[in-house]
Amino acid sequence: MRLGYAWAVFGKEWRDLLSNRLLLGAVAFPALIFAAIPTGLVAWIQVHNLDPNQLGQIQQYIANFPNVPAKLAAQGFIVTNFMAYFLLIPAMVPMAIATQSVIGEKVARSLEPQLATPLEVPELLAGKTLAAALPAVTATWLVFVGYGLVNGAIADERLTRFVFSDVWLVAMATLVPLICLFSVLLGIVVSSRVSDPRTAQQIGGFVVLPIIAVAIAQFFGGQATFTMQQVLIGDLLVAGLIGLALLIGAWAFDRESILTRLA
Amino acid sequence: MIVVEGLRKDFRALTAVHDMSFTVGDGEIFGLLGPNGAGKTTTVRMLAGLIAPTAGQATVNGHPLGDQTQEIRAISGILTESPGLHEKLTARQNLAYYGRLYGLRGSRLRDAVNRYLGVVEMSAHADRRVAGFSKGMRQKIAIARALLHEPEVIYLDEPTSGLDPSAAKTVRDFVATLRTLGRSIVVCTHNLDEAERLCDRIGVMRGTLLRVDTPAGLRRHGRAPTVRVELNGARGPESFLDRLAELPFVTGVKAADSTLVVELADPAHDTPDLVAALVGAGARVTAVAEDAPTLEEAYLSLVGEHGERDTDR
Repeated sequence: MRLGYAWAVFGKEWRDLLSNRLLLGAVAFPALIFAAIPTGLVAWIQVHNLDPNQLGQIQQYIANFPNVPAKLAAQGFIVTNFMAYFLLIPAMVPMAIATQSVIGEKVARSLEPQLATPLEVPELLAGKTLAAALPAVTATWLVFVGYGLVNGAIADERLTRFVFSDVWLVAMATLVPLICLFSVLLGIVVSSRVSDPRTAQQIGGFVVLPIIAVAIAQFFGGQATFTMQQVLIGDLLVAGLIGLALLIGAWAFDRESILTRLA
Repeated sequence: MIVVEGLRKDFRALTAVHDMSFTVGDGEIFGLLGPNGAGKTTTVRMLAGLIAPTAGQATVNGHPLGDQTQEIRAISGILTESPGLHEKLTARQNLAYYGRLYGLRGSRLRDAVNRYLGVVEMSAHADRRVAGFSKGMRQKIAIARALLHEPEVIYLDEPTSGLDPSAAKTVRDFVATLRTLGRSIVVCTHNLDEAERLCDRIGVMRGTLLRVDTPAGLRRHGRAPTVRVELNGARGPESFLDRLAELPFVTGVKAADSTLVVELADPAHDTPDLVAALVGAGARVTAVAEDAPTLEEAYLSLVGEHGERDTDR
């Protein structure tokens, strides 16, 4: 793998992305929504000085936050429980970018001239993967930092500590990039076989289902957030899926079948 | 120099091309002429290292296909059937990107981009996004892209498609100058006029090469060259048929109304002798015109002889 070639592809993809406002919106919007909902709830509890006894079901989860006032415990639960949905950002955003990138090039027939150069397919895919993953990882990290700081500022600085816990720092550093990479690879595999971005995104959209399932299971299990063990298991699981996706990707994205399957 | 021997490409049960053998010398423009689905693009894709042949072999400037495909890609420039530009990028950004993929960096890259933007007369539009370009403008940028890295071997698939006559002439003239620089050039085209004007030799293909020859040689394939002789006088053209049949350079003759249609081996050389013989026999000749066979006749004759193919590769 020659990095200069992958870097050239990355540069082109990045320019392409920056000029696509719709796609940039698709990057920013989910990240902001996932952060805005719990932050709004925290602010609402803070402004209305809500009695946690009125919060019904949430009361049973407040036990996760011993030694803090009930109102802060409720806010802490909301803040940390919603963070599982942050994992949807690296799952959804790069998928949208990768499918748009590959299928867009298939439709525009711009893959053939690129493949006619000395560029190798792994270099092409590395450039595309980096370009699709970087905005998603950056968006997730920015939202994570902003989320912790804003909630601390709105309510109590201890909320910032709940957000920037060891578990979530590790999850952000490992699980987010891994999910991103898996999402991009899945997007590329699916895109190499279909010619419509919407179809690709619908097929690839299944990647978000396990994450939603985990978030829901966590809520109904009475768990405020992930444990370190769960994060590490998640890392291993996603790493295994990446290996599988790489194998399938190498088969699906070969030079000849891309050219002869062009839309 | 390109040397192709017995090249074949199968797509599952479908044979796109087979038994392709030809050479393209340095400084030669070789045309691949054929109907849709004849296998022109497949042939070029194999030679450019984009797809692997099923059988046969080829060398491109001494690099064998298969073993040194990367080297072949590095010395080849290809104008694809569709320009395939990156719509959101400017013309300059498109060319700079491909320049990098061909290993150009720094001032070499900048100079090459500026030079070829000038060659295709697109300098004034260099910093506009390709999305707003006409078909002809896109084609010009795609041509610049194919030549940016000074390739030794150039494949041009319908190079003047979408260009106005003036721009098409500019491109043809430029391709001709590439010949003088010793590049080997393969041109795929449906445009018979373009093939005749541009190519040193033409390969007519339909799944395989049906015939390779110079444009003049191909024209002769359609039918023998003929001369039409208009007569005016009491004697009808039929009365000269016996006399003409005696002439050794006449290979065939027909009479119609007041006209004789005479097939000659070499009209440029034999026409004066033909006229002299007719006048000597008492004919009153009012007009003589060569009725040269066209490349179109030769092409249709060749392609028609080999039947229809139902592929579209």
